[in-house]
Amino acid sequence: MRGSISGRTSDRPFEVKWLTNILARKLFALTVLVGVGIWFLIVPAVSGNLGANPLEKLLHQSGEIAIWTLGAVLSLTPLRVLFPASALVVALNRHRRAVGVTACIYGLLHFGFHILYEGGWDGLVRSLTKPFIWFGLAGLSILIVLTLTSNLWSIRSLGAKNWKRLHRFAYLAAALLIYHQSIAGKGHWHTARWLLFPLLGLQVARIVKTLYTDGFFENWPTPGRKRSGPDHPIQRYYVWPRSEAGTISAEQRLRLRPIAPCHLPRIIDGPE
Amino acid sequence: MTPRKTTKHLWQLPDSAVLPEEQYLRRREFLRIVGLGLVGSALFADSLPAATTGFPDSSNPSFKLDGVKLTSEDSVTSYNNFYEWGFGKEEPKELSNKGWKTEPWTLEIGGLCRNPRKIEVNDLVKLVGGIERRNYRHRCVEAWSMVIPWDGFPLAKLIELSKPDASAKFVRFISFLDPDACPGQRSNSLPWPYTEGLTLPEATNELAFVATGLYGKPLRNQNGAPIRLVVPWKYGFKSAKSLVKIEFVTDQPKTTWNELAPDEYGFYANVNPSVDHPRWSQATERVIGGGLFSGRRPTELFNGYAKQVAHLYEGLDLRKNL
Repeated sequence: MRGSISGRTSDRPFEVKWLTNILARKLFALTVLVGVGIWFLIVPAVSGNLGANPLEKLLHQSGEIAIWTLGAVLSLTPLRVLFPASALVVALNRHRRAVGVTACIYGLLHFGFHILYEGGWDGLVRSLTKPFIWFGLAGLSILIVLTLTSNLWSIRSLGAKNWKRLHRFAYLAAALLIYHQSIAGKGHWHTARWLLFPLLGLQVARIVKTLYTDGFFENWPTPGRKRSGPDHPIQRYYVWPRSEAGTISAEQRLRLRPIAPCHLPRIIDGPE
Repeated sequence: MTPRKTTKHLWQLPDSAVLPEEQYLRRREFLRIVGLGLVGSALFADSLPAATTGFPDSSNPSFKLDGVKLTSEDSVTSYNNFYEWGFGKEEPKELSNKGWKTEPWTLEIGGLCRNPRKIEVNDLVKLVGGIERRNYRHRCVEAWSMVIPWDGFPLAKLIELSKPDASAKFVRFISFLDPDACPGQRSNSLPWPYTEGLTLPEATNELAFVATGLYGKPLRNQNGAPIRLVVPWKYGFKSAKSLVKIEFVTDQPKTTWNELAPDEYGFYANVNPSVDHPRWSQATERVIGGGLFSGRRPTELFNGYAKQVAHLYEGLDLRKNL
């Protein structure tokens, strides 16, 4: 059997134990996520290094942090699909909820600075006539909804399937916000490409791999999903509660998918 | 092995651990040179000479802007849009002072005129009869503003000396092109060199100014040393920096930002609170130097210079002619 995927085993090819242990800590995630804000917003503010237009600097820095944090959370899932055996990737994936919520918080901070920068209510209303601002606000609204539903209660009451569908809107938010960022400066696409292309690359790689493990390419060159019997490789990646092993039908089994967030694939004793 | 292991006492160093005398002396020499270099760079940092002729100048009382607070020299020289050096506001100050030479500097005046010439900037200042100081409001298209004490001479003087032909309707201003020196020009972010233009009546208006200094000192590199245009009733991007050529032409010249995004940056680019930029309102501006909660100041038509320039645009629809 090819290595089990539970969080506790040590037969992973790329494991660096001490590093994995640090990366998996909540304290580590908290330190990084809060530390970025302290380093780029609070330190320059306190030391008077915000330059001649301090509010503009805070506005831009907070926006940058927000969108890069969003980029980080969106790269976690593809990385897990691409490198399921990497302990580092699995460890980082524990922090998906924290990273996502943090992106929203920095986004809200960015919006707060925008209100200040526009000089209050009148300025805010004037700014709301610009499509450039709509893109940012639409993206932020999605992040707010996703943040408010980032708890177990929401997952339970929505049902895993609906919850997952809802949280796929994170990709729409990313598209809107990357566009918002790219037209913010005069250089247009010059800034956005650093985030957009890596994210797109990861998604493409992830989709190709998922299709591949699903047997999509098995009948190449006439591709199509082929779901064969119980020894199909994809079953290794399904979440399969241990207690139910052997108690569900093959058909039910196929419908099981890894659910987000924060659930490590609990394992699977798939048929050899 | 370390000396300690081969000796009885810590202070008994073996010969191998002693620096030969000549090496010791070379080290002294090295320190002396480095030390001098450091002192030198501290003394001359940020004061590379540009056009030094004409200083100290005296203030022109007609352009004093009484009761208006000047933007601090530090802000004016550290918050710059000068894309030749990068997109950031702080990059020009940092990158343009790494050996970029702005002295000597030759300006070419040509095109449709009777007296074309190539002239060194200091000689040009002597030719136009010295420089004066004017306090001008500066309004960036990005909706922030400054008040800057410029040192220079009216553009009209230079145009008078050049004697443009009757067929000259526009003036084109071309900035330097030196991709070896400046990183921004090595990317294709903008079509280089930076080019701007004015109509001839605009260029001969009393407000149109050629600056060789600010705050009573030669222009710093990041502000467009050694010679730049200042057109205070238009958005800042019209005031081209580090000019190498001024040309009289018949047709409206292609200008950099207008070429790149005509709906965002017009050829006229007059400051106008009632015509918005597609991405932000131009009704108000953030005054540089205010704190985090300072609010904004209402923007004035023609940046407050309507009295001097409004007549230039009579009969022109300012909404269509951005």
